[in-house]
Amino acid sequence: MTRTWPWRPFLAPTIAAIVYGASLFVPGLWEAVLGALFPDEVRVLYHAPMPLLVWQTLLIVAASSALSIGIGMGLGVFVTRPFGADFFDVVTDLSNLGQTFPPIAVFTLAVPLLGFGFRPTVFALTIYGVLPVLHNTIAGIGSVPPAIVESARGMGFTPGQTLRKVELPLASAVIIAGIRVSVVINVSTSTIGAIAGAGGLGAPIISGLANSDPAVTLQGALLTTALALILDGYLGAVQHVAEGRSAQLDAA
Amino acid sequence: MISFEHVTKRYEVAERPAVDDLTIDVPDAMVTILIGPSGSGKSTTMRMVNRLIEPTSGVVRLGGADVRDLDVEDLRRGIGYAIQGVGLFPHWTVHENVGVVPWLLKWPQPKIDARVRDLLDLVGLEPDVYDGKYPDELSGGEAQRVGVARALAADPPVLLMDEPFGAVDPLTRDRLQAEFTKIQQALRKTVVFVTHDIDEALKLGDRIAIMREGRLVQFDKPECVIAYPADDFVSDFVGSERALKRLSLARVAGVASETATNDWAASVPRSATLREALARILETGEREIGVSDESGNIIGSVGLEDVFAHFERPVE
Ligand SMILES: Nc1ncnc2c1ncn2[C@@H]1O[C@H](COP(=O)(O)OP(=O)(O)OP(=O)(O)O)[C@@H](O)[C@H]1O
Ligand SMILES: [Mg+2]
Repeated sequence: MTRTWPWRPFLAPTIAAIVYGASLFVPGLWEAVLGALFPDEVRVLYHAPMPLLVWQTLLIVAASSALSIGIGMGLGVFVTRPFGADFFDVVTDLSNLGQTFPPIAVFTLAVPLLGFGFRPTVFALTIYGVLPVLHNTIAGIGSVPPAIVESARGMGFTPGQTLRKVELPLASAVIIAGIRVSVVINVSTSTIGAIAGAGGLGAPIISGLANSDPAVTLQGALLTTALALILDGYLGAVQHVAEGRSAQLDAA
Repeated sequence: MISFEHVTKRYEVAERPAVDDLTIDVPDAMVTILIGPSGSGKSTTMRMVNRLIEPTSGVVRLGGADVRDLDVEDLRRGIGYAIQGVGLFPHWTVHENVGVVPWLLKWPQPKIDARVRDLLDLVGLEPDVYDGKYPDELSGGEAQRVGVARALAADPPVLLMDEPFGAVDPLTRDRLQAEFTKIQQALRKTVVFVTHDIDEALKLGDRIAIMREGRLVQFDKPECVIAYPADDFVSDFVGSERALKRLSLARVAGVASETATNDWAASVPRSATLREALARILETGEREIGVSDESGNIIGSVGLEDVFAHFERPVE
């Protein structure tokens, strides 16, 4: 109420995002830099326009992250409710298993079911992204002091109100940390989607590999890394703000 | 208003019940203290009133109705609940914390705002200063006050308080207890109050229920607990200096006698306890000292004889 929205943590990622976004529309700049790094290469840039590639990646990441967050938080909330407690072990074991399954294999197995392109990519990324969100949702809810939950119940909060008004807000910093890991994993793993024909920033990487054009691969890798760092920066800022609020936990 | 009828709570893992065949009628408009060693079932007993815990057998009644027949959220919203320090919501302001039950009851916002200010006043916190603070900006004593204000917010007839003054220093605790007594004298709630501290129990309680291993050992007025402990456990629990504790429960006003002379070496106010009077007598070396009213006029005297007489009178 008395605390204003802290904008400062968002400043650096916003500047980075503006620079990154602007550079996508100046392929000449990229050509010059990559040309200087690889003077012997004829082809230094991928043929598709960069804004399109980034847009495709963002769509894939947005879809898979939304699903990972929804499924991860949903399962995390479910297994920490009294009626879901019996499923706690099954759910955490399954999601650990999903995480250790090789990504390429997931793509390969998903393609016959979901066809080529966008859908198997989103499917595979979702499986990878669920674990950090699930894990942190469970940890975050578990870290809310039992006395606070009890006093909410004791004052007549419904179970839903306890979850929405007390448990989730107090777990938010930890949950956001999990979302952050999940999104960053999704951005870099999304490049594999190019194998399944999903386009995006994986396309220059694969194309460079196939045609022995290292500059093209580097172009895709740089664009991917920078995008991951920017998203990481934003989510880090959100996490920072949430931490500031739940730091009050220690004192209460 | 609250009654327990053969209530037992047994946890699966435990060998003995946490609460064992408890039958007790909690009197209305009084402070009933639940006291006993750690693990004796005090919190369990209290939580069965607002159904945070369901009994294994027996019935808990509130205003005659079996609490199991009442809607659980309605039941809880109608009971003030304060627990040791930590119960405040750290992500909410003092205002939001205090107004939470009215908010749950869907009071209009202006009514909540006004109510919160009144309550902060009542517990001795300046509304303009504390309204917008977060719990991490409060001292331990201030947080306890907010806890009490929150429990009183919707003006419930019943208050459940589990060691509400547990985590503060002795001085702050004394002040909170004094304020609680003042508030209770004005509001006359039916209060169930859990504590570890026999002195707190004697100071605040109209009735004291002493528990041991889930069973009720004695349920009495404070004076009777001290004068006639039910068994060795209770007398151990009451501790040494039973005689002095008994003196601290009696007011000078009750034993003072009118005297012709106003010429005393020292005096105590008539609201003082007999224990304070005795201390004053010993300090001055007199056998008798004066008693004054609120404006300081001598209205009588109290002496060693009165103290002895107090012990000879039976406690009823
Ligand atoms: N959820 C639970 N599961 C199993 N046993 C429990 C549970 N809660 C309490 N107990 C046991 O029940 C008994 C009574 O506990 P309770 O919390 O009522 O004690 P208390 O008198 O409030 O103690 P304290 O003064 O330490 O707060 C204890 O032996 C405790 O270990
Ligand atoms: Mg207890």
